[in-house]
Amino acid sequence: MDHVGPLQELRRRELFGGGWSFSSSPQMSLEATCLASFSVLAEQPSSASHVVLPLLHAQLSDGSWPSFISDGESSWTTALAICVLNSANDSSGARERGLSWLLKTNGREANWFWRWKFKLADRAVRFDPDRYGWPWLSGSASWVIPTAFSVIAIKQFTACSRSEISERRIRLGVDMLLDRVCLGGGWNSGNSFVYGVPLPAHVESTAIALLALQDEERTSVIQASLAWLKQRSSNIESVESLAWCILSLFVYQEPVEHLKARLATLVGDGRGIRNNATLAAAILALKCGEMIHPFEVLR
Amino acid sequence: MNVDRRRFVGSAAGLAATTAVTGDWLSPKHSVSDRRPRSLVAILNAAEYSEKTEALLMDGLRLFRFNVLGKMVLLKPNLVEDLPGPVNTNANIIGAAARCFLRLGAARVVIGEGPGHQRDTELVVQAADLKPHLADRRIKFVDLNRDELARVKLKANYSGLGELWLPRTVLDSDFVVSMPKVKTHHWAGVTLSMKNMFGVVPGMKYGWPKNLLHWHGIHESILDICATVPIHFVIADGITAMEGNGPLQGIARELGKIVLADDPAAADATCARLMGFDPHRVQHLSEGGRFLGNVRADRITMLAERIEGPIRPFAVLPEFHYLLARTVL
Repeated sequence: MDHVGPLQELRRRELFGGGWSFSSSPQMSLEATCLASFSVLAEQPSSASHVVLPLLHAQLSDGSWPSFISDGESSWTTALAICVLNSANDSSGARERGLSWLLKTNGREANWFWRWKFKLADRAVRFDPDRYGWPWLSGSASWVIPTAFSVIAIKQFTACSRSEISERRIRLGVDMLLDRVCLGGGWNSGNSFVYGVPLPAHVESTAIALLALQDEERTSVIQASLAWLKQRSSNIESVESLAWCILSLFVYQEPVEHLKARLATLVGDGRGIRNNATLAAAILALKCGEMIHPFEVLR
Repeated sequence: MNVDRRRFVGSAAGLAATTAVTGDWLSPKHSVSDRRPRSLVAILNAAEYSEKTEALLMDGLRLFRFNVLGKMVLLKPNLVEDLPGPVNTNANIIGAAARCFLRLGAARVVIGEGPGHQRDTELVVQAADLKPHLADRRIKFVDLNRDELARVKLKANYSGLGELWLPRTVLDSDFVVSMPKVKTHHWAGVTLSMKNMFGVVPGMKYGWPKNLLHWHGIHESILDICATVPIHFVIADGITAMEGNGPLQGIARELGKIVLADDPAAADATCARLMGFDPHRVQHLSEGGRFLGNVRADRITMLAERIEGPIRPFAVLPEFHYLLARTVL
């Protein structure tokens, strides 16, 4: 699949000081920068030191990363940044500081008071507050995508040597994801039932949650979610969702060539895609099978 | 000293009221006052979405005296999910509104939205069938979840948030038009032009959903956002509305109305009345009526159709039965 044109377009959009914004603004976004960094690294592994530099500069003093430059608040992008540094095999110590922050960070349900509130008083949304993961930003509840990326980051970084606390957080995160699964498989942002009514799954959340669960036992929940994603993939016309779909189905060894062909048509030379995070995800999806998958977890 | 129970309760209530008034005077909860002596509302009858919508809307807009000549107009529809049913503001009305504002002299029209649940905004735009309406180069769509952000001090302090990061596109707009879908809402009771402004809060900072706003109180956050990002005009899509377990899982209700207003509180109060609700029982509306606009019917001038009874109230979850008006109108 042709990813050269889109990659050139992505590189053309790199900010003067390094990193990427979401669209045409000068405000560096950590999500866009991380995904774009994977794309550049996949094509040119020797550029690692150049690619990680803006990330290293953006790290906050507590070891976390903000969601964009000029924001001083810790965010879920910490997990993504650790994954990039894993790919770049960075040895600056930034990953260790990031991991330390991740292991200390919980969704708000981790606090006994909120667990009690969700168990006894606030039951409109069905979930088990004992199973918590990671929030989008400190001080809010656990949600599917931040939890999934955090699980991937910890699994990747601790693959060779895993501490008890890392293992415990991975298990809690995996349990949280399995608890939040939608009826019939798949995930949305994290509310599977509200007032007893099931809410539908989303493609992107499902794909990312499945990436986090790729090395787990193929339980019926995972099988059903994989089946849901495969079925849904047949009629996705959105670049972002289709890209994540391919990235996920690939690690489950499902056929993706027909999806890549459709994605290549949608992407073209990449100039029509304004969102750099979407463009970068599409490039990664088009390169699936020709690179080390950035979210692969070794068993 | 003997104090009987009635006198004690009366004194306590009086003390509480005095404390609230004094507290508000000593430490006001808002630094803006957008309420004018009277507000203008036009209810337009429209049985369906069709090619006639644009002409109807244009006639309706001409009832109001506003000037958008050379201005950047932001249309903020309610685009939530790629789900079937009346979940999103209908693209037919959004497109018609964009073209009407261009005809009225706007330099350009930006349609901006930051969906609260679905991260893939393109998927929502596709599902809403909005793309055909973006053909005119003067009409652009901006994903407010991923726009450039600026930190803004809030002009009200109900939520305790103090400040929010908000999209540049919103802050740089000259004329903000909230375009809600008329729906019930399982957390807020109703979602109308004021609740619709949750969509300007960026997901890239606050996540999907924008949970921080829920933790700080939905009604309180609505008030703070609407005080900070003034809504200059409202076009509410009530042709096919939603009742029951809204905003996603409710059922369609053919209301057959488009509500236009130069005041968000008046617009929402009118929509609430059309839904058979007492607007004073919607917390953010009742409080918003003190400084964001007019909720009282005697302060609203109806330019087109009147609210005519009897009204069959919208179905609501049991938690929101208190919203139902004893006497409608």
